[in-house]
Amino acid sequence: MKDNFSLFGYEIAEKIKTAEVTKSEVFSWFKQRVEKLDKPLNSFVSLFDSADISEQKSLFSGLPIAIKDNICIKGKKITCASKILSNHIAAYDATVISRLKTAGLAIIGTTNMDEFAFGSSTENSCYGLTKNPWNINCVAGGSSGGSTAAVAARLVPFALGSDTGGSIRQPASFCGVVGFKPTYGRVSRFGLVAFGSSLDQIGPITTNFIDSANLLNIICGFDPFDSTSVKTIDEDFTDSLIEDCKNIKIGVPKEYFQEGLSPVCREAISAVIETFKAKGAIIVDISLPYTSYAVATYYIVASSEASSNLQRFDGVKYGARCEASTVEDMYSLTRGNNFGSEAKRRIFLGTYSLSSGYYDAYYVRALKVRRLIKNDFDKAFREVDVILTPTAPSTAFRVGEKISDPLSMYLSDVYTISANLAGLPAVSFPCGFDKDNLPIGAQLIGKEFDEKSLIRLGYSYQQNTDFHKKIPKLFGAKV
Amino acid sequence: MSDFETVIGLEVHVQLKTDSKIFCSCSTAFENPPNSNICPICCGYPGVLPVFNKKALELAVRVSLALDCAINEYIYFERKNYFYPDLPKNYQISQYKQPLAENGFIELINGSKIGVERVHLEEDAGKLIHAATASLVDYNRTGIPLLEIVSRPDIRSALEAVEYLTSLKQILQYIGASDCDMEKGSLRCDANISLREKGDKNLGTKVEIKNMNSFKGIRDALLFEEKRQKKSILEGKKILQETRLWDVDNSKTIVMRSKEEAHDYRYFPEPDLLDFAVTEDLINLERSGLPELPKDKKERFIKQYCLADGDIKVLLSALWLADFFEEAVANFNQPKQIFNWLTGPFLEQVNGLDGGFKTVGLCPAKFAKIVEYFCSDKLNNLAAKKVLAKAIVSNRDIDEIIAEEGLAQMSDSDDLTEFIHLVIEEFPKPVEEYILGKETTIQFLVGQVMKRTKGKANPKIVKSLLIDALSKLK
Amino acid sequence: MDRENIVDYISKLARINVSNEEKKPLESQLSRILEYVNKLKEADVTSVEPLRNLHTNNNVYRQDTVIYPFQQENILNNAPLKEDGYFKTPKVI
Repeated sequence: MKDNFSLFGYEIAEKIKTAEVTKSEVFSWFKQRVEKLDKPLNSFVSLFDSADISEQKSLFSGLPIAIKDNICIKGKKITCASKILSNHIAAYDATVISRLKTAGLAIIGTTNMDEFAFGSSTENSCYGLTKNPWNINCVAGGSSGGSTAAVAARLVPFALGSDTGGSIRQPASFCGVVGFKPTYGRVSRFGLVAFGSSLDQIGPITTNFIDSANLLNIICGFDPFDSTSVKTIDEDFTDSLIEDCKNIKIGVPKEYFQEGLSPVCREAISAVIETFKAKGAIIVDISLPYTSYAVATYYIVASSEASSNLQRFDGVKYGARCEASTVEDMYSLTRGNNFGSEAKRRIFLGTYSLSSGYYDAYYVRALKVRRLIKNDFDKAFREVDVILTPTAPSTAFRVGEKISDPLSMYLSDVYTISANLAGLPAVSFPCGFDKDNLPIGAQLIGKEFDEKSLIRLGYSYQQNTDFHKKIPKLFGAKV
Repeated sequence: MSDFETVIGLEVHVQLKTDSKIFCSCSTAFENPPNSNICPICCGYPGVLPVFNKKALELAVRVSLALDCAINEYIYFERKNYFYPDLPKNYQISQYKQPLAENGFIELINGSKIGVERVHLEEDAGKLIHAATASLVDYNRTGIPLLEIVSRPDIRSALEAVEYLTSLKQILQYIGASDCDMEKGSLRCDANISLREKGDKNLGTKVEIKNMNSFKGIRDALLFEEKRQKKSILEGKKILQETRLWDVDNSKTIVMRSKEEAHDYRYFPEPDLLDFAVTEDLINLERSGLPELPKDKKERFIKQYCLADGDIKVLLSALWLADFFEEAVANFNQPKQIFNWLTGPFLEQVNGLDGGFKTVGLCPAKFAKIVEYFCSDKLNNLAAKKVLAKAIVSNRDIDEIIAEEGLAQMSDSDDLTEFIHLVIEEFPKPVEEYILGKETTIQFLVGQVMKRTKGKANPKIVKSLLIDALSKLK
Repeated sequence: MDRENIVDYISKLARINVSNEEKKPLESQLSRILEYVNKLKEADVTSVEPLRNLHTNNNVYRQDTVIYPFQQENILNNAPLKEDGYFKTPKVI
């Protein structure tokens, strides 16, 4: 069979179903691709020799999937790309992992990321950075850069990532794949190593919306182990794989097209608008006035929660430890020597925002502005069904370009952060390439629990374009 | 200088009596080996999340009702952040800005009302054992539901503090919310104490005292601190706001940390748990399930049983004792006799048992029967105690024991006459003394008859038969 | 609190040792970030309630049953240092 890797997940599933290939053949194709091609990318942290594939007859049974290294797989290393967790073996399966296993997917390995998901470039990893498959001098984006790079290079049909402020969507945009962040509460966070607990959400990274819809069917749903997961009626997201945008009202917020957006991205989004219009959608100009506060709000809220979440890494129960004669020194050295510099910055910022005397000025104020940002969306969604924006201000930047300037790095998440603050579903999908052949991403943001509209629009778009079929040159050949 | 007034507020932590922990399903059992009741959740593993135990909320609501608190319509948790090895996540899930319940009170025996400022839920920390060069951590206790009950500074003496605690403990035990066993750590207490000039409305600088492990420790620590502060003030020294530890071995408080070193806990709402509605239904259910509270029981006992205040206090000290009493009285309506036998011979037996009341098999009805037999002269005092001892664990049939042991009292004069004559013949000297007017000798002779009847004789009847027989000899 | 003190204070509070080489850049980065987030002060938040939860009154409870759904036996083995069934730390004073 030729060019198996270029097939979409659902196409491989079809071949398994018709017994054209076996599940173990599929597993070894992709395993070989990772072994032979991942070196320049460094997208994988661990590659598993085999996977227990249940006899389940689910549609995606036997398909390999890669998992971001901050989601627990029982018996496997879980490191969050941090020295502080090096060699820690997960004691249990995250709920999403149990769900994938039940559906018969083959977990093939874990992928690289920014340490504890702190970053937008996958440069802050104790395993070294992940490079962009379209140009290895550029970053993959982050923090789920390992997952998006692996999917873009077709080392694996799809992967899971986590998104706190854009960590699925921004790297998806940089790598030219589909990155879906579901509504907060859709997917259980149990077993996802927490960064910003009120913002984190696990989501699928795929090449196409058919695979996204099928994976969402598997991972979404209430979990009694996650009190913030929401009891919703089971939905079949594949019902929305309809090529029709008739009368869907798409809002285009002016705040997302101001200074800072690169012209090439602006043009690409204009073309997306035209495509949707051609399929019958109605375009509405809207305003989300509090957008300019999103990054500041996010960095306070996310860092505050992170500073508390990461206190458990202290050398007592698991992970790394620096011996010292007092427990205070043991804490301080263990944490000082094993957290990377971005992790330290976030913990410092968060600890400061929560500390006595600054709590009201920073943390509480940020929660108030967060409400204003959510109100913006509530208001906008009284007028429109979905919102269309660029995913990132630019295409992938060069390795090292922003690493010494944290603030400019933070600003690369300027368009993705608001959906996390408001808990809304959002997806990035490829919509073009710049002159250097780097992918451009468009973002759709939906109403709470309205993933279906995003799937419908995204599917319709992909039925009429072929950006999602492009494979980076380095990875387009058969192994 | 004028008189001082002592102002005390107490902060009590009690473990709620649930089977499983507050945020995970590990057991709360006490005496298991170290680190056996643990799981990834209570050990703060990467990726875990808390899920709230409904029973903990129900018990907390029950306590709030029993303490006459106003209960908030909804509750939410906050994180209290500090590093300590007994705290796996290095934050404690607690409540801060808005507690579960506020503004309650406890009425003491002397009639004074002590305000309860707030009642809030949180998770317990683990246990640290300090070895010579290292500390050892046991997470079994981590995550046991804890209720913090904070009093207003309404307590005016060490004795009143102990009374408050006694009443609180009684209430919590009555309603089945907590074991309140200080030895096992299911009740812990910190105190704030300050002095002010009598009549002054402002509060003095308070000192917090920790590490008091018994009611006696609390009383002694407060008395010590009262004296220490008084001395300082009289010497013109300023009282420093600080936390002090009760050093039980040296009977004094020692400085633990000053206010400047106070923690910066960085409280913020726990994002892993959403709000919980404390519904009317839940409150009504707990209210209707509330047993009679100690103060109401006291009122009723006074009316129903006509016992002295002191007697009632003894009966109410433990719920099982009060219940046992009531059931026994229902079977034999002589409250005072039941009380005497219950708090006397019965408790003596119970205290002699290894497992205490838990191992008592004797049911109140059979206990009442023993008392009844005693009152109707069917058993003498000694025999009744013997029967009690035989039945206390076994709960065997009372009549069966009496028959088997041959303990039934001999009251029949014909049976006894034989023994009377035997004794008179055997002890001519005391008989003579009696006849000559030394009347106390009769006791000796009664004793001899009792001995020969193996204690079964009714001593009153023996005495009168002896007097009769001896008068004939005169 | 001036810049230098912030880093010292937070380093203590967050139990993160900061080396001398790290200190200067951390100070300047933090102060740049704080300068940026200070723009929140421009937002009018009068009578705005802080957004504590995205979803409210979810009332997700557990029943009070003892079960061990997760692997338990290896928890102690993951500890960097243990003794007689206990986690071991340097002496806590």
